[in-house]
Amino acid sequence: MKRATQIVLVLAIIGLAIWGWMALHPSPEKVIRSRLNDLAKTLSFKSGSGALARAYNAQKASEFFTPDVEIEVNLTGLEPVSLHGRDEVMRIAMAARSHLTSLKVEFPDMNVTIDPGGQSAKVNLTGKATMPGQKDISAQEFNFNLKKVDGKWLIYHIETVRTLSSLAVELTAQST
Amino acid sequence: MNTMEPAASPAARFPGWLRIAVIGRNPKRTAIRALVLALFCFVFFKFFVFRFIVLPVRIEGYSMFPTYRDRGINFVYRLAYLHSPPQRGDVVGIRMAGPSVMLMKRIVGMPGETVAFEHGRLIINGEEMPEPYMKNHSPALYTPPVKLGSDEYYVIGDNRMNSEQGHINRDRIVGKVVL
Repeated sequence: MKRATQIVLVLAIIGLAIWGWMALHPSPEKVIRSRLNDLAKTLSFKSGSGALARAYNAQKASEFFTPDVEIEVNLTGLEPVSLHGRDEVMRIAMAARSHLTSLKVEFPDMNVTIDPGGQSAKVNLTGKATMPGQKDISAQEFNFNLKKVDGKWLIYHIETVRTLSSLAVELTAQST
Repeated sequence: MNTMEPAASPAARFPGWLRIAVIGRNPKRTAIRALVLALFCFVFFKFFVFRFIVLPVRIEGYSMFPTYRDRGINFVYRLAYLHSPPQRGDVVGIRMAGPSVMLMKRIVGMPGETVAFEHGRLIINGEEMPEPYMKNHSPALYTPPVKLGSDEYYVIGDNRMNSEQGHINRDRIVGKVVL
């Protein structure tokens, strides 16, 4: 009995040590996931938050991107939009905050691929946004490219992915 | 002489064999067993059945109307195509980056086929293909012919004028929508 207790105790200590090591030294994949979840939280805002808090969060959101970030948005039925630079991202974030009363952003699925050098990564993810007064959710697939700058993973390129890759967008519903 | 008998408990009203069958000889132990069983069922369904076998989904939007309605609850059977490929007419769940958010569409074109729509009618390899699952056709729908690859399927919602359409690779199909 005493021996069994000792074994259990030793196993518990080993388990705790492994957990502690993993918590202190997370894998790059885990760091990226956590960073993108932080970005989703920063982009989200609730109704009633003050102008100062909104401005602070918009500024905070821009810190997830490199200064020369490039964002290409190509959605079905809409004109393609390109954003260049952190300032433009911040401007859009501020504009969204002034036009919407609340917004909830989530990234429910993330597929992270770290490049062999360990200094850049590609993330294929689903972005989900819930807005007030809109029953339906808005969901879109994206490819995020990140690179390590001064130990921090920053986004330098974002592009939308067409889940139904096709000529579908080119088709026209002609009225007869 | 007055005699007093303790009031019969509700359980005592049942015949002994029935009581044993329902709550066992030791009710306390039976309660613990039931609790453990309930916990097991919860974990089994939540983390196994509803993740790897059938995915419960809530439909958002009208692209599959009138076959499937907005806000309806449905299930995507993930093992449907384990031994046989998807078939024309199947309604399938199509993943985005993962299965948390899926598109729900009907397969109308099979690998290798050329798919087009003319006057709302499905044209496969130049010939009209009947669609018995369609309740009403939208004559205004035209699309140019699309040649599918060896692992590609053409999908579209039943609400043809209010649905995205296009071709997808087989690996995007999460499973078949059932019920």
